[in-house]
Amino acid sequence: MTWIIKNEKPKIGVFSLTGCAGDQLMILNLEDTLIELLAKFDIKSFQEASSYSENTKLDIAFIEGSVSTDHDLKILKNIRENSSLLVAIGDCAINGCVQAMRNNQTSIAERMLDVYGVKDNVYNALEPKGVGEYVKVDAEIPGCPIEKEEVFNAFISLLNGDMPLIPDYPVCVECKLNGYPCVIIEESKPCLGPIITAGCDARCPGLGLDCIGCRGAIRGETNAKAELETLRKRGYNDKYIINRLRFFAGNFEDIKNLGVREASKGERDE
Amino acid sequence: MYKKLFKKHLENFISILSKFGVVYAPVKKASKLYDFTELTDFKELQLKYTRTMIPPKKFFLKPKEPLYLLNKDKGFKEIVDDSKTVLLGVHSCDINAINLLDRVYLNQFPDLFYKTRRDNTIIIGVSCEPDENCFCTSTGSSHALRGFDLFMHEVDDRYIIRVGSLKGFQIISECKNILADTSLPDIKEFKRVEAERIKRISLNLNVNGIQDILDLSHDHSAWQENADICFGCGTCNLVCPTCRCYDVVDYLKLDLKNGLRARRWDSCMLRQHALVAGGLNFRPTRVERLYNRFNCKMSFSEDSLNCVGCGRCTVYCPADINFVEVLNQVRED
Ligand code: SF4
Ligand code: SF4
Ligand code: SF4
Ligand code: SF4
Repeated sequence: MTWIIKNEKPKIGVFSLTGCAGDQLMILNLEDTLIELLAKFDIKSFQEASSYSENTKLDIAFIEGSVSTDHDLKILKNIRENSSLLVAIGDCAINGCVQAMRNNQTSIAERMLDVYGVKDNVYNALEPKGVGEYVKVDAEIPGCPIEKEEVFNAFISLLNGDMPLIPDYPVCVECKLNGYPCVIIEESKPCLGPIITAGCDARCPGLGLDCIGCRGAIRGETNAKAELETLRKRGYNDKYIINRLRFFAGNFEDIKNLGVREASKGERDE
Repeated sequence: MYKKLFKKHLENFISILSKFGVVYAPVKKASKLYDFTELTDFKELQLKYTRTMIPPKKFFLKPKEPLYLLNKDKGFKEIVDDSKTVLLGVHSCDINAINLLDRVYLNQFPDLFYKTRRDNTIIIGVSCEPDENCFCTSTGSSHALRGFDLFMHEVDDRYIIRVGSLKGFQIISECKNILADTSLPDIKEFKRVEAERIKRISLNLNVNGIQDILDLSHDHSAWQENADICFGCGTCNLVCPTCRCYDVVDYLKLDLKNGLRARRWDSCMLRQHALVAGGLNFRPTRVERLYNRFNCKMSFSEDSLNCVGCGRCTVYCPADINFVEVLNQVRED
């Protein structure tokens, strides 16, 4: 897929909604190439890097963070109206991420009470969701946080008039390409890799750890039921598995739909 | 031609092999994981092993490999790896699988990268240690007729070495001091051990008329049932010694002028595999992909199947989908 570059130096903005700002930080972490890379763009806003901000038409807007308040939504709509391309960076912007963990499990009022001791929705909070729930998104760069390499390649693709290339296959592929032992097969660890978007080069299995799903479930290909079955067979109970799946992917339809069933015998609750 | 090597000379034998290239051999990495690894310590060598997770195809068609350096003005330049390699301890099934890959990568339009490494690699077979997931007798790959330079059959305290090529003969000539001629009792014992090994391969896959059966069972419920528990994770293809598909990607440098073209193993179980320009995907669902994979593995090219019965796809499938069971399920009704 391609897009039309109008300006020799595309005008860009990098924005934050509700999140930890880790994705902006990852862009700044591209130390070796950052100056050279950013010099190819005309930067109109970059919250984490500079207080300078210009409210203007953009070629590309990069957005991190989820829509979790009224305020977020207003900012988002304004950015969308003013940008040719909108790129969601990080799991929060793509699907709501950790903030969405309790969506559809407890009400906003209950959460307000738990955290602030009041029932009233004083911050005009919304159920945390990805930006795609509200506006059109042209490209996504997954990760919690995003991967440096992937951001770099995405920027280059955009400069070249291409859309970023993001894997839409699971972490298992990277385990195999690297020859890493599979922690499900070898040690019955509760790895979520089979349903999680690759691109981290299977960092955790490479260290002998099970994937907790930080890059988010794969859009339209998440076989959450199979993950439940696979881990059940290895002795984990439903509650544990579902909580684990919801950690980063509470907004995923097929994970939402699993529901909590009766815990099975011989369960393992780690 | 047959020669005999006593096990006590094995270390010596390997040091002679290292004159022919860097020696890679099976090393144990985890409870179920063996991997062909550069042999730096003789103690790590595991010639008695079931199967490696990643098959030896990784030496010829690399999991991830750079192909060309690109330059907008100057064109492209191949990146060719012609290092000398010795693969020690390859099982018959995997040798048969390499023979299948050779047909694809060497015949008609030879793949430069594959061919270069194939020409620079010595393959030394070793008799296998079958387990309950091996069915190579069903696929006709429990024995290797060609595709190796030497083949070491373990017989008690020695190896009976079969010579399979001129290169193999050259190695043998360098090993005069540690090799002996085989005697009649050696051959008798060799036959007994081989027959005993074959007997241990107890899993059977009936491949009689399998292509017709698959053609006729496109609508069999087994496909959907298995697709429901399948992740589409690609593991079954990536660990398969006969799978040969790859995907190509270009990486540009910041100057947008220089770049790198690279390829990596692909899998027909991944949804982008059948996606073509214009956005059409001719196998959009998992059930279509699963059916396609089984068909590909069970189709005959020339005289053999595309499956050598190594059992890897079953052993490493995170969803526990059993290759032979699925085919039996389809055959039964
Ligand atoms: S360790 Fe996890 S990600 Fe890697 S192959 Fe196994 S299940 Fe897949
Ligand atoms: S948790 Fe999973 S997706 Fe995240 S870095 Fe680890 S392996 Fe990759
Ligand atoms: S390894 Fe198993 S789960 Fe993964 S694609 Fe193959 S059959 Fe499906
Ligand atoms: S299909 Fe399975 S059993 Fe057959 S060669 Fe491939 S991995 Fe081995």
